[in-house]
Amino acid sequence: MSDQSVSRADSALGCQDLTKSFLGVRAVNGATFEVPRGQITALIGPNGAGKTTVVNILSGLMKSDGGTMHLESTETTNWESEKIARLGLMRTFQLSRELGGLTVLENLLVAPHDQPGEKLFNIFFRPGRVTKAEKAHVERALEVLRTYGLYELRDSRASDLSGGQKKLLEISRAVMAGPKVLLLDEPMAGVNPALIERIGGYILDLKAQGVTVLMVEHNLNVVEKICDHVIVLAEGRTLATGRLSDLRENKEVVSAYLGEVIDAGAIS
Amino acid sequence: MSAFWLYVFTLIFFLFDYFILAMGLNIQYGETGILNFAYIGFVAIGAYMTGAVSMPNSVGTGQHYILGLNMPFPFNLLVGGLSAMVVSVLVAFIALRRLRTDYLAMVLISLSLVFYDICNNYVPLFNGADGLYNVPSPLAGVLHLTTNSFTVVFALLTGVISLIMWWIMSRITRSPLGRTLRAIRDDDGVAAALGKSVFRYKLTSMMIGSFFAGIGGGLIIQFNTSFNPSAWLPGETFVVFAVIIVGGVSNNIGLLVGSLLVETMLVHLVAFLPAIPGHPGLILNIAAMMIGALLMVMLWFRPQGIVPEKLRRSPAAVAAATTSTDYAGIDEGVSHE
Ligand SMILES: Nc1ncnc2c1ncn2[C@@H]1O[C@H](COP(=O)(O)OP(=O)(O)OP(=O)(O)O)[C@@H](O)[C@H]1O
Ligand SMILES: [Mg+2]
Repeated sequence: MSDQSVSRADSALGCQDLTKSFLGVRAVNGATFEVPRGQITALIGPNGAGKTTVVNILSGLMKSDGGTMHLESTETTNWESEKIARLGLMRTFQLSRELGGLTVLENLLVAPHDQPGEKLFNIFFRPGRVTKAEKAHVERALEVLRTYGLYELRDSRASDLSGGQKKLLEISRAVMAGPKVLLLDEPMAGVNPALIERIGGYILDLKAQGVTVLMVEHNLNVVEKICDHVIVLAEGRTLATGRLSDLRENKEVVSAYLGEVIDAGAIS
Repeated sequence: MSAFWLYVFTLIFFLFDYFILAMGLNIQYGETGILNFAYIGFVAIGAYMTGAVSMPNSVGTGQHYILGLNMPFPFNLLVGGLSAMVVSVLVAFIALRRLRTDYLAMVLISLSLVFYDICNNYVPLFNGADGLYNVPSPLAGVLHLTTNSFTVVFALLTGVISLIMWWIMSRITRSPLGRTLRAIRDDDGVAAALGKSVFRYKLTSMMIGSFFAGIGGGLIIQFNTSFNPSAWLPGETFVVFAVIIVGGVSNNIGLLVGSLLVETMLVHLVAFLPAIPGHPGLILNIAAMMIGALLMVMLWFRPQGIVPEKLRRSPAAVAAATTSTDYAGIDEGVSHE
């Protein structure tokens, strides 16, 4: 099966027939989709559908058992996550993984690739170059922190942040690395409605800056408001792809996932 | 000079030497999260190699060892440090590439046991169980030092060397490199997801730490003029761990405090106490138990150590990364909103 709705030429990221089992549990079972470049795509599906596992595979954190994947025109199947990251794919984690012993500012400062100050030789023999790069990174990091409302917390230990603040930190750290493609695993889970609104705004801003976003999201209100494209995953397979309004007509999708949500009145 | 002052300067030597050793283990464990249970093996490599290159050709010395190059101080010491570093590269490729922390620790401890057995039993390498002795004292000839004045001069020299190493280490830990190592320590999955080559950084950290281990070991063999397997039982690694855990992981002052409390007071000071009549060795065993007890008390009540790790807050975080001349310029750039 291949995803017909987005052509490979318009796709920033995609996968074909991905499979992954954990001790006999088929978490991903043939997932196939393309993520349109420059748009916001939602990855939805019931709990345990394999969404996080797909994100883990696409970002290189886990190796798939089978199938292929690509980032832009590069085949990235079974690549290490550091290599995938360097191609411009950044991700956040469903359960926030802040660098707890570092400050908020330092969490961002880790992100830029190939910093001169990460090389021993430069530290001792080209201190000027290290200083210059560091200065630029600090300025940019403070700007990002201001944008995401974390500026006041810049010197706090990251492990001391609240759940919502950690979600913001994860996004701003990924943004600091200057991603082309951003995978967000439930960026709004456990966050109050005002902050959901704000995060939605940030994601739209990123889209405006040309970033391709794939976000796992359970809240269909959010999906409706900000996502251009939707991928429905159920039992590790791609059930359907397209616009949310089209998917509502799809009986299979409704019964697998949307039904319960619509019945529960989550979509106004 | 009285025996008292000799004791004092011996204690001073070990204070500074263990400060160097603690800094080396700290960059691996405290900054990068590598549980290097083979650390004492790298100290031994530094000691043996420093000795072996500074001694004359082994023929006719009554000892068996490799090299024997009559190499003068401080070049012999550098060879010691660099040898430990080279071996750490091999070890990193064996153990550090794929293994999880706990497996890694087991592999490292096994490697250090194997290496210990080789040194203890294979005589042509470093004279087997007898180890190296009659190692030439550095500078003794040049400065016309007696055995006693050598102790004083070398203890102070070690102090100077430890200050230089401290400067080098702070420069590293405060740089973006140090920050990336701490990111790997806190969560290497996140570091990888940010595009950091985790193995390459762990390798760098292993190499720097092992160089410090080798230098610290080289200083020991120079100070004692001998070194043999009884001086580096694999359990010694845990004394260095105790130094950094008691003093404070990732804090250089803490490492110095830990070195003073654990190494100077509990290991060496007690060694000079007169034996309890009828119970030779009892005091040393009590001291070993006290180190164990102290370690447990600290881990239970104050796991961050006596002098805990400092957060690197922003002006510092910036200054930090730089410690160089155009720091003032940076400060401006940052403090503006
Ligand atoms: N590391 C793992 N080890 C064993 N099983 C796993 C692992 N990760 C995921 N699974 C299993 O794989 C299936 C898919 O999990 P996954 O986390 O991808 O779901 P999800 O769609 O993200 O769910 P949710 O919406 O609840 O976050 C589940 O049955 C889960 O138990
Ligand atoms: Mg999930």
